[in-house]
Amino acid sequence: MRTIVEIKNMSKRFGSTIALSNVSIEAYEGEILGLIGENGSGKSTVTSIYAGMQKCDKGEMLFEGKPWSPTSMNDALKHGVGMIVQENGTVPGISVAENIYLGEISEYKKGLFIDRKSLMADSQKALDDIGAEHIKAEMVTGALDFQDRKLVEIAKVMVNDPKVLVVDETTTALSQKGRDIIYSIMNKMKNEGKTVIFISHDLDEIMNVCDRLTVLRDGNIIRTFLKVEFEENAIKTSMIGRELQGNYYRDDYGDEVKGKAVLKADNLNKGNQLVNFSFELHEGEILGVGGLSHCGMHTLGKVLFGAEGVESGEFTIRGEHVKSIADAMKKQVGYVAKDRDTESLNLDASIKDNIAIAGLDKFAVNNMLILPSRENKYVNAQIEQLSIKCSGANQYVSALSGGNKQKVAFGKWLGRDSEILILDCPTRGVDIGVKQAMYQLMYKMRQEGKSILLISEEMAELIGMSDRILVMKDGELKKELYRSKELSEADVIQYMI
Amino acid sequence: MDNEKIVRKEHVKNLIFQIAPIVGLLLLFGLFMAFAVIKDINIPYSMKNIINQSVIVVVVATGAIFIYTLGSFDISLGANMCVSALIGAMAYNRTGSLAVMIGTCILTAVLIALVCSVLASVFNLPVFVTTIAMLSLLNAAVLMLIGANGTGDIIQVPAEAVSAINTVWFKLIIMLVYLGICIFVFNFLKLGRQEKFAGGNPECARLTGLNNSKLAIIAFIMAGIGVGLGAFLTITYAPTLSRNTASSVGMDVIISIVFGGMPVSGGARSKIYSAVVGALSMTLLSQIMLMLNLNSGISQMVKAIIFILVVFISMSDGRKSILPR
Repeated sequence: MRTIVEIKNMSKRFGSTIALSNVSIEAYEGEILGLIGENGSGKSTVTSIYAGMQKCDKGEMLFEGKPWSPTSMNDALKHGVGMIVQENGTVPGISVAENIYLGEISEYKKGLFIDRKSLMADSQKALDDIGAEHIKAEMVTGALDFQDRKLVEIAKVMVNDPKVLVVDETTTALSQKGRDIIYSIMNKMKNEGKTVIFISHDLDEIMNVCDRLTVLRDGNIIRTFLKVEFEENAIKTSMIGRELQGNYYRDDYGDEVKGKAVLKADNLNKGNQLVNFSFELHEGEILGVGGLSHCGMHTLGKVLFGAEGVESGEFTIRGEHVKSIADAMKKQVGYVAKDRDTESLNLDASIKDNIAIAGLDKFAVNNMLILPSRENKYVNAQIEQLSIKCSGANQYVSALSGGNKQKVAFGKWLGRDSEILILDCPTRGVDIGVKQAMYQLMYKMRQEGKSILLISEEMAELIGMSDRILVMKDGELKKELYRSKELSEADVIQYMI
Repeated sequence: MDNEKIVRKEHVKNLIFQIAPIVGLLLLFGLFMAFAVIKDINIPYSMKNIINQSVIVVVVATGAIFIYTLGSFDISLGANMCVSALIGAMAYNRTGSLAVMIGTCILTAVLIALVCSVLASVFNLPVFVTTIAMLSLLNAAVLMLIGANGTGDIIQVPAEAVSAINTVWFKLIIMLVYLGICIFVFNFLKLGRQEKFAGGNPECARLTGLNNSKLAIIAFIMAGIGVGLGAFLTITYAPTLSRNTASSVGMDVIISIVFGGMPVSGGARSKIYSAVVGALSMTLLSQIMLMLNLNSGISQMVKAIIFILVVFISMSDGRKSILPR
């Protein structure tokens, strides 16, 4: 097979962090190459350099045997290398069509004006071609949800018909339908003799989809597995450099939840996101909430934290109504949002700032005066408890890997000893090592009598961690399932769709 | 290079960015002294001038830091100061009391700032939008006040009424007390921490229980106090007030804050000392250009170029978002 992508001895540093150290990768025509590794292992860095997002410090790149040094992502895309990034890559204030043809609008110039009719028609075709017919080209991008914005990005890349497509952690943001769209694009490209580089933390997914799999750890290539060599434990061991100790998910069954109800929701209604939604969350319970991305489960999390109102219905925490977010926090409720970088964290602030902000009332003297010694003690306790990999509490969160960022988001709420945690996709974009640590933490909290509302799009996570699972569809509670060894993904999915 | 060395290098780089404004100030001071010696200029007299000029900008800029921290800015600071000074002067002329004058100055400035921020909160607008509307309103108010209460084109307080407090020491004390209060609030009170956090990411702040509207209102009140004190100090320094009083303060404050190392995007990197360092640097720069017999037009151009350069350098330090909210 002909080599399409060649990366030779690439090195890259971000300040004090060595992101890549002499990394060499090859990808062939007609193959899907998987890249896997823990957060901060260098997967996104190496591919983003190849796709023109940033420069390397050292190394050589070839594309179809010729030297390759794109000046920008648009330049790379124009010459045949497209990338769909992990976080949001669209401009919210402009139309979907303008996003799809961003940087190429001039091609639609007719005299002094833009030929909007052609722009809209071509954009709609691009959306239809990838199977995203439900998105209209004239819609304002900011009005779309996270998944649909991702689909717009995919359309933007695919309209350029790239020879190499990099898919960076995109599937974690997508429902099954969105994932199916990506898989079909990747397989089509493979069949056409093109190349796909696929980054994911989902081992099952990556083993299913890829032809070869390269494992990175701490900026180094550890090993490349051929399809015939794919074996879950061997890959995991390569990723984390040791065997996973203990259980991944909890392994107890038949341990009935006996605690009293701490959160009661009664007939909540909010558009088509919540329809007569009622449930109870008990002390010492992990209550899973699952469904397709648009089913209303993410809205439920925000409503219960007081961040969004409802049209009718009510909910109480230990018998008391929640008036606002601040009130929910007083009632010992914490909330980790799905959209980590914009809703859970202030990236341009330090770890200390991020963790301390939620707990000011816990350590400030008279809820007013901040003494550095008390603040440091409070923050360092969370850094230690969660084993956040950092150079110190004053390190900026933007410099942390995805998993460590998520730990900081957890630390905000653990520090103030939250009794009820609403976790919206808490392990999205997090590697298996951090995932396992989070699952163990959740289980520990459950054993301490705390209550967790686990909103997740990952079936395995819901089944593996929850005492009960509420399955939602179109804002309604479709089914309540109880923890059991026999419970399968199919049992859950049948009520979602 | 081992990891420890790289960490040290990174630390040094951050330190350089932090101390660069102070080094700039020291360099300007060195230049000022050098030119003063070469041109045989009365240094104590010039220093007194510098303090007189910079104290007002330091006070107003210190308060304005609270607004900038939120990633916003107030374009009407100068107009607010002019109106507050006019009303303060009128209050003195009615009562003959300096206490009433300072109280009126502060109250007026705080009320104007309050209107600005509350309007933004009620109509859910970015605060700087309401400050643009307020600028027009205040300019009109200045004309009306002078027209209805002034003598010709001015409103005047008798010079002898303020001569006793028109001293460098009095102004320095006012500045230091206000500066001390602001530093304390900004760094050691829950409020200051919340302001900095909300400036960096308002949505994350909201989802952490912070009330962004309330924080904006408090920031404007803090800035209003600074403007009121600035208005009072303006009267003591130049008791004849006209429509041009404090006309350049708004721009001086913006340039000073940025020159002092304040990120235009606000947030956690905000520092109160930016106001002091920036205001002193800008005044020294003006003084140096005056010594070189450069006219005020060139002086403004130099300031504008420095402003752009500083913003450019600060952006290269990873501060990408510079648009106000």
